[in-house]
Amino acid sequence: MKGKLRLTMNQKTKLEGYFFILPWLIGFIAFFAMPFFKSIQLSFSKITKIAGFEMEWIGWQHYAKAFTWDVYFVPMFINTMRNTLITIPLTVVFSLFIAILINRNIKFKGFFRGAFFIPVLLGTGFVMKQLLGMNVQNQAIEVAMGIVMPDEILNYLGPDIAAYVTEFMYRITLIFWRSGVQVVLFLAGLQSIPNSMYEAARCDAATEWEMLWKITLPMITPVISLNCIYTLIDSFTDVNNPIVDYILDMGFKSVQYEYAAAMSWIYLLFVFIVVILIFVIFRRFSYDSKEG
Amino acid sequence: MGSDRMEVIRRDITANKMIKMNRLFTKLMSRNFWLKSIYRLFTYVLLMDLAFIFLFPFIHMLVTSLKTPLDVLDITVKWVPRSLYWQNYTRALKALDYGTTFINSVIITTLGTIGHVISCSFAAYGFARYRFPLRNFLFTIVLITIIIPVQVVIFPLVIQYSNMGWLNTHLPLIVPTFFGFGLRGSLFVFIFHQFFLGLPYELEEAARIDGCGAIRTYWKIVLPVANTSVLVCTVLSMVWHWNDYFEPSIYLMKPQKLMLPAKLPTLYQNLEALSKQAASPEMEIIYNEAIVMAATFLVILPVLIVYLILQRKFMEGIERSGLVG
Repeated sequence: MKGKLRLTMNQKTKLEGYFFILPWLIGFIAFFAMPFFKSIQLSFSKITKIAGFEMEWIGWQHYAKAFTWDVYFVPMFINTMRNTLITIPLTVVFSLFIAILINRNIKFKGFFRGAFFIPVLLGTGFVMKQLLGMNVQNQAIEVAMGIVMPDEILNYLGPDIAAYVTEFMYRITLIFWRSGVQVVLFLAGLQSIPNSMYEAARCDAATEWEMLWKITLPMITPVISLNCIYTLIDSFTDVNNPIVDYILDMGFKSVQYEYAAAMSWIYLLFVFIVVILIFVIFRRFSYDSKEG
Repeated sequence: MGSDRMEVIRRDITANKMIKMNRLFTKLMSRNFWLKSIYRLFTYVLLMDLAFIFLFPFIHMLVTSLKTPLDVLDITVKWVPRSLYWQNYTRALKALDYGTTFINSVIITTLGTIGHVISCSFAAYGFARYRFPLRNFLFTIVLITIIIPVQVVIFPLVIQYSNMGWLNTHLPLIVPTFFGFGLRGSLFVFIFHQFFLGLPYELEEAARIDGCGAIRTYWKIVLPVANTSVLVCTVLSMVWHWNDYFEPSIYLMKPQKLMLPAKLPTLYQNLEALSKQAASPEMEIIYNEAIVMAATFLVILPVLIVYLILQRKFMEGIERSGLVG
C-alpha cells in the first residue's frame, strides 16, 4: 500500500514537472524546432511552391555557391569573424576592468553603477545607427582622451603611432557602449566572492595585484566565460555586423530564401565553433586554478 | 578651583591638538600617504572620464536637440546652445508620428515583458525544482537556444507567420514571449533557473504541507520571493523589446503598426512628406543634426524614464539574484 502511494507521488511530481515546462515545450516546438528544421531543409532545397512551402531536395548547391560563386560572402565572412574574435576579448577585458574599478571602496558608487549601464538603453538598433551617423563616438573619445592623455603626448609619439592610438580609441568607444550588461554581470560576480578570502590574503601580506591574479580572476572565471558568450550573441544584433545584413538582403530583397538560409547556417557553424572554443579554453583555466 | 579645572581642560585640548597635528604631520611626510592619495585621485579621474564616455551620447543628444539651425552650423557653439529651440521637438514628434508609434511600442513592450516574466519563470521553476525524465536534455536545449540567433530561423519563421496571417500584426512579437521564446526568451529562463537553484526548499515545503497546490505555490510563494529576478528580467526585457529593430522591421510593414525606433531611418522622408502636406512656409524641411537628435532622444526617453525609476533596485537585484554565483 505504502509503496504504491509513493509511486503515485513520484509520478505526480513528474507530471507536475512536465506541466511546468509544457508552455515552454509548446513554444519550443512552434517557434523554434519547426522553423529550425525547416531552415536546415531549406538550405539544401529549392522552393517549388511558396504557398504550401513545398521544397525539392538539391543537396549542397547553396553551400557551394556561397564559397565559389558569391564574391561578397567570403570577404564579409572573414571580416565578421575577425571582428568577433577581436571584440570578445576586448569587451571582456574592459568590462572586467571597469567592474573592478567600481567595486572598490569608492564614493558615488550608485552614480557610477548607473552610468555604466546606461548605454544599454541605446540598444544596438536604429538609435545607435543614428548616433554613429553623427560620429558621436569619436566626439566622446576625443574629449575623454584629452583629459587622460593630452595631445602633446600624441604629438611626441609621432603621427604613425598617434593615428594608430586614435583608431584604437574609436573602436574602444563602441566597445565601451556595448559593455553595460557585461559590467553588471561582472559586478554581480565580484560581489559573490567572499570577503574573508581577501582578508586572509591581506593577513599573509598579499598585495592588491597578487590578490587580483590569485583570488579575483580564478573566482570569476565562470562569469568571464558567461560574458564571452553573451558578447558573442550580442554581436548578432550589432548594426556593424555586415554579414547579417547581407543575409537578410539576400533573403528579403533578392527573395533567395534558400541561399540566405544556407549562408546563415555557415555563420551559425562559426558561432558554434567559437562557443566550443570558449568552453575549451575556460575549462582548462578553471582546472588549472583548482590544481594551483 | 573652577579656573584650575578650566586650565586642565585647556591643556588637555592643546595636548590633543598637538597629537592630532603630529599625526597629520607624520601622515603628510610619509611616502605611502602621498602615493595612496595620488592613486585615489587617479582612480577618480579615470572613473569620471570613463563615466563621461558612457554618458556622452545622452549629453550630446540633449544639447544638440535644443540647438537652432544656426547653432548647428556654428562650431563655436559646442556645449551650450545660445537659446533653447523647442521647435526641433515639435517637428520630431510629428515626423515620428509619435501618437501611433508610441502606443504600438508600449503595447508590444508591456505585453512582451509580462509574457517573458510569467512564462520564463514558470518554465524555469519546472526545470529547477522537479526531476523528470529528459530534464537535463531539455535544459541543454534551453542553453543551445540561447546561442542560436533568430537570424538563422527567420526565413521559415516568416513563411510560417505569413501562412498563419500574422504578418503586419503585433502577434509574432508578443505570442512567442508567452511561451518562453521571443526576444532572448531562453536567456530569461536561464536567469530564473539560476535564481531558483539558490532558493531554499523549506518555504515551498511548508506551503505544500499546508496543502498548497503546485501552481499556487509557484504563484503565491515562489514568484514573490523571486522579486529581484523578476525586476532584472523586467528591465532587460523592456529595454530589449523597446530597442529591438530586427524582428519588428521584418514582421511590420504597415505604417500604423510600426514601432517607435522604426521611424528613425526614414526621418527625412517623413519630414518631406509633412512639409508637402502642410504646404506652408513654417513647415519647410529643416533636416539637420538637431532634429535627428531630438527624434532619437524622444525614442529613448520613455525607456530612460522607466529605467531611472527602477535603476537602484535593478542594480541591487542583479547583485543579489545569484545570476552568476
